[in-house]
Amino acid sequence: MKVLVIEDSATTRRIIKKNLAAFNLTDIEEAENGEEALAKLDGIDIVLTDWNMPVMDGLTMVKTIRANPKYKDLPIMMITSQAAKKEVIEALKNGVNGYIVKPFTAATLAEKVKGLLARCNPVSEAE
Amino acid sequence: MDVKYINPFISSLNNTLETMLSVSPGRNQPFLKSNNKASGDVSGIIGFASQEVVGSVALTFPEKAALKAYELLMGETLPHINEEVQDMVGELANIVAGGAKEEFNAIGIVYHISIPTVVTGKGHSIGHKGGVPVVVIPFELNGLPFYMEVSMKVKPGLPTVQKLVAENVAG
Ligand SMILES: [Mg+2]
Repeated sequence: MKVLVIEDSATTRRIIKKNLAAFNLTDIEEAENGEEALAKLDGIDIVLTDWNMPVMDGLTMVKTIRANPKYKDLPIMMITSQAAKKEVIEALKNGVNGYIVKPFTAATLAEKVKGLLARCNPVSEAE
Repeated sequence: MDVKYINPFISSLNNTLETMLSVSPGRNQPFLKSNNKASGDVSGIIGFASQEVVGSVALTFPEKAALKAYELLMGETLPHINEEVQDMVGELANIVAGGAKEEFNAIGIVYHISIPTVVTGKGHSIGHKGGVPVVVIPFELNGLPFYMEVSMKVKPGLPTVQKLVAENVAG
């Protein structure tokens, strides 16, 4: 399971990586903005992205990813300070599959990421 | 500037520090800022704007408070402010500004926020965007002072809280 973490804050990238490692997600690719991320999508199983970033913001990046049929089912979680309900709705309308509002706890991140992975790969437990 | 424009930032800061650092900051009496000098050694500034408002919110930390915040967040004790501490202060300002949106939406104010600007050094200045007096709210993190500054110009014609409440009651 390979995760792409896109976040301009180095501090938040470290926190996210540490929280993911706690449930054994340790294969992490990182990018500091949307443009850098677009070049790193091959082989990625799940994307965790910030919204407010320089160069290319997260929402613009999500729209670009979804415009490519190859990535129509790629799970994307947005992790952002954008706390307004209308922003959550805008992100979901544009192809984001899950949304975490900063500030978040390790427990919230784990629950939401595991939930998204389970929704996108509804196999393992049944078989 | 009306306190109703300060309170959403205060709630957001409290929530941010309680969630990320597991501390409830102490708060002291706000005052109007008389110059553009920061009270801290590292500041994170976020500009915001919309049809209704223009302004900025800044968090400014003296070194001790910045290092304590970093220790609480990352579990590491640093001797001085470095790039990671600067990044943390910018991200905290970003989270405070974004987190206040929902409360502002409830009083009819919507805005977009900028990418954080971080400034460091003794006696650095903070460029606020509102063009109106800056309100400084002093806080304490485990007894160490730090400050939130808010400058917010509300454009004419915006419904006041009183009007919104009256309309809701009437409707
Ligand atoms: Mg960011």
